[in-house]
Amino acid sequence: MSSGTEMNAESSKWLDAHYDPVANLYTFSSCIDLADLNGDGENRLVIGDLGTGSSNMKLKVYRGTALMNESTLLDLPTGLVSFLMDLHEPRIPAIAVASGPFIYVYKNLRPYFKFTLPSLEINALEQDVWQQAREGQIDPLALKELLEGIRDTADVPLSVRSLRYLGLETQDMEEFVSLHKQQPIRRQTVITCIGTLKKSSADEDGVSCLVIGTESNDVYILDPEAFTILSKLSLPSAPTMMDVTGQFDVEFRITVACRNGNIYILRRESSKPKYCIELSSHPVGLVRVGKNVVVGCAEERLYGFTQKGKKLWTAQLPAPITTMATMDLPTRGFQAVLVGLANCEVHLYRDKNLVSTIKSPDVVTGLRFGRYGREDGALVMTTKGGGLAVKILKRTAAFDERDAAPGPPPAQSVRLNVPKKTKLYVDQTLREREHATAMHRAFQMDLSRVRLAAAQAYVRALEASLTPMSANPAAPLKLNAVVQGLGPAFKLTLNVQNTAASRPILNLTVSFLYDGGLYSMRTPYFRIPLLVPGLVYPFETLVECTSDKGISDVIKVFVLHDGKTAPLLTAHINMPVSEGLALE
Amino acid sequence: NVDSRFNTKQSNSSAPELPILERRNWLIHLHYIRKDYETCKAIIKDQLQETNAMCEYAIYVQALILRLEGKIQQSLELFQSCAILSPTNADNLKQVARSLFLLGKHKAAIEVYHEAARLNEKDWEISHNLGVCYSFIKDFKHAQEHLNAALQLSKHDRTFLTLGKVHLLAGEVDKAVELYQSAVEFSPENTDLLTTLGLLYLQLGKYQKAFEHLGNALTYDPNNYTAILAAGSMMQTHGDFDVAMNKYRVAACAVPESPPLWNNIGMCFFGKKKYVAAISCLKRAHYLSPFDWKVLYNLGLVHLTMQQYASAFHFLSAAANLNPRFGELYMLLAVALTNLDDVENATRSYQQAVSLDRSNPLVNLNFAVLLYNQGDKKGALLQYQEMERKASGLREASSTVEFDPELVDMAQKMGAALQVAESPVWTRPPADTKTKPRSAAATKNPGAPLGTNQALGQAMSSAASYNKKIQLSAGGSTARGEAGPSMPLEPEPYTENAPGTPSDPPGPPELQETPEAPKLQTSKSKAKMEEVD
Repeated sequence: MSSGTEMNAESSKWLDAHYDPVANLYTFSSCIDLADLNGDGENRLVIGDLGTGSSNMKLKVYRGTALMNESTLLDLPTGLVSFLMDLHEPRIPAIAVASGPFIYVYKNLRPYFKFTLPSLEINALEQDVWQQAREGQIDPLALKELLEGIRDTADVPLSVRSLRYLGLETQDMEEFVSLHKQQPIRRQTVITCIGTLKKSSADEDGVSCLVIGTESNDVYILDPEAFTILSKLSLPSAPTMMDVTGQFDVEFRITVACRNGNIYILRRESSKPKYCIELSSHPVGLVRVGKNVVVGCAEERLYGFTQKGKKLWTAQLPAPITTMATMDLPTRGFQAVLVGLANCEVHLYRDKNLVSTIKSPDVVTGLRFGRYGREDGALVMTTKGGGLAVKILKRTAAFDERDAAPGPPPAQSVRLNVPKKTKLYVDQTLREREHATAMHRAFQMDLSRVRLAAAQAYVRALEASLTPMSANPAAPLKLNAVVQGLGPAFKLTLNVQNTAASRPILNLTVSFLYDGGLYSMRTPYFRIPLLVPGLVYPFETLVECTSDKGISDVIKVFVLHDGKTAPLLTAHINMPVSEGLALE
Repeated sequence: NVDSRFNTKQSNSSAPELPILERRNWLIHLHYIRKDYETCKAIIKDQLQETNAMCEYAIYVQALILRLEGKIQQSLELFQSCAILSPTNADNLKQVARSLFLLGKHKAAIEVYHEAARLNEKDWEISHNLGVCYSFIKDFKHAQEHLNAALQLSKHDRTFLTLGKVHLLAGEVDKAVELYQSAVEFSPENTDLLTTLGLLYLQLGKYQKAFEHLGNALTYDPNNYTAILAAGSMMQTHGDFDVAMNKYRVAACAVPESPPLWNNIGMCFFGKKKYVAAISCLKRAHYLSPFDWKVLYNLGLVHLTMQQYASAFHFLSAAANLNPRFGELYMLLAVALTNLDDVENATRSYQQAVSLDRSNPLVNLNFAVLLYNQGDKKGALLQYQEMERKASGLREASSTVEFDPELVDMAQKMGAALQVAESPVWTRPPADTKTKPRSAAATKNPGAPLGTNQALGQAMSSAASYNKKIQLSAGGSTARGEAGPSMPLEPEPYTENAPGTPSDPPGPPELQETPEAPKLQTSKSKAKMEEVD
């Protein structure tokens, strides 16, 4: 697929500034930011690294191609933003790392402040019950029952402690209660996403508030200096991603993608969502371009919506989306959406038109476009395997405005695979043209002959009872025979079944017809006892091959009824060649 | 150090801080929506270990992944345990119901959905799924009720499609069309909706609208197999074989083993007079779908054209075995038999055709020709009158109907031969049809000297049978559109192929078989329709 021209087109747009496939990063777009941390006009790359996913979490700062600073994080970072928290000079942004129920704020790369989410409302009944437990009024089992009752009926969910307790085995309860009963009950939630919102001025270097979404379906807006909660907004589901625009003091708009697959738009005047966009699959990426919102969905589609939630366009993608980011070049007035795909590509969409494709050696999981170092158009990509790549947009790069519709699909020019016919076929065709009537008549004649022969054979078989199924309504029988052994002695087993619905069959005998020079049989004639309907009766008899010539013959089995000369059934048994004799 | 600075407050607690149950929910969700299921499962396992299997969301996602992996029963059990952990959450109940639905337990699913609806009344998804469940147990009234409720809560393409299907299942085509129209207005780029509406219009005979919608569908998705096939068959009807072939090439890449596709490609070649290629393609279609009578019918038609009458007879008689209720089939069979000098069976076949056919004047015309050639003027006259009756019936039904000029020509010659007064039925059409592009090909009438009655009969019956194809292709439903849109063919063979004197009657006729043919046709034609739609 990667034709030369395409590669050229791609490399004419981007310079490969840095690629480290073993940077050992486990991170997402939400944990990557670019900020001028020293106030020297040179942007650093700040990454919240999830480490192994359970330990070794780090806050990493890169300068150029080198790792400049690294500090340990206590828990998994959910999101990371840089923001200006005060008006002091020089204008150095702080870094806020959301992690669990806390926000850690770093200034000059030093820990500065830790914000804790307010504790959630605690169920009063639950508190009472634990109070009783502390005072020894109820035993652990009664406690469990009471808590279960509260869980099933209460509006306010139980705290971690109670839920933990309900999952315990009986023998561990006592210990758990004594360990925890002295502590006050706390119900905490965690941060799921974080963003920034300018406080009062729209300037580049204005002070910003932090906006955080929590697991408890709330969105908080925090004051940048005092870290008090300025506003609390609630959602119907837990937020997963958000985009914030506007100024807190004037007018703002928070677009939040939620875990229930919907997108909600919050505005200043109301604490409830103003608009709702219902999607048919989960949103994977959410970015804003100008006034429109672009959403990437798990069903491999990209949607464009107005800020009021009206669908503008849809674009089909070739692979599942992994991440999305905006590409904003204000100096050129260029805005587009970067979409990381599971097929190791990053697509650049301007509205619904694909304007460029970047190939990556690995699946891109994190994307950030912005100013890095002193370069305005830098694209930072982190990959699934832990790699870090930085590309720089060439100043000469131009994204043509062509419509992405590729014209007729390439399959249209593929030749149809029509099977060729041979010369023989053509000759036969010509022959048929000339002799169609004769061929037809000959065919009809032969067909009739075949039919006649088949019918004759069938009638003969029916008349002579040559079939192993008896059609006689008085004695419906089924017979099959099995020959066992290598020779010269064989065991012959006849399985006889009465297929009548209810009537038993009496007075049957079995007789064998064979070449006396080849075979001898211990019982060439025997009687069959009464046959109960449905059961299979096996009858065994021994056959000895007396010939040493290595030849075999057919043994015929007749099932006879007393007093009738015609057999009820006939079976032909093709005897195998006796191998025992051949060896001697 | 960072840690000490941020951590000072925690040191004074004696009991270990219990980790928050939901602390990694966001991470689980993030991996789940990115379809990174392996990592997701690893995190879930960790999380469940840490929380002693009390983390509801982890179990929920685990169950979702299990369901994606096809382990529906296991996922159902996990969703049920989620519902125990959080009995007031409608999502859990919805997923329980979804798993029940996937297991085919529709009634149980309906019950659970109703329960979920009590927890969350304004959820379109619940209403939509209830509608789907009801449609599966064939309770169309309730299905429509719930789907309409879902549409009122929130409009989704899925709901439109399902409701449309329910309307069609209940036989309410008008309502379905109306619904799809509003759906296309709401979501103008949804190719499924566009294609479905296009096919509906095609069935209703509104070709202009049908083509418009199918064309739109192809603009948004040039690889849409259904739209390609339907639009292609319409193009074939109008003789745009090259354009149709271009479209089919795309479909052939996407679905290389589709019998209707190869059938249509075959008939495109037929229209372009590439008969050998046509036979190759039709034989492939036949190989892929051996019980499809339409493919056999077309094969018979092409072989008739190639004057391989013996082969044509076999294909046509096989088609008649599969679909014994189609009059035109017997007419073609009769044409083949006539050419095989088996007049007796040809007559029988014509009789069968005439008794089955209701509206096609060609059947009677061909029969009349045969009878006339046999010297049975009375019988011929009877058939001729029947033909005129059918033709005027068609004209009454729609004033724009156009008879093929060849048919008209033959009918007029026949009328002259039988010394019948010229019927006004034929007077107008020839003028109309001359403007049509196809008349150019059609007017290349056999220049054969109509010396003997035999030759006349041959030329007429053959020509008439070819005309039939056009009738057939123009005639409405998609299924038929596929059967044989094609053009008349080169006429010169008739001159050189005037048959010799008929020899003695051949072996026993095969036609007796057709009445006792296996009753496959209903199921077969149904399957056919599905392939096209």
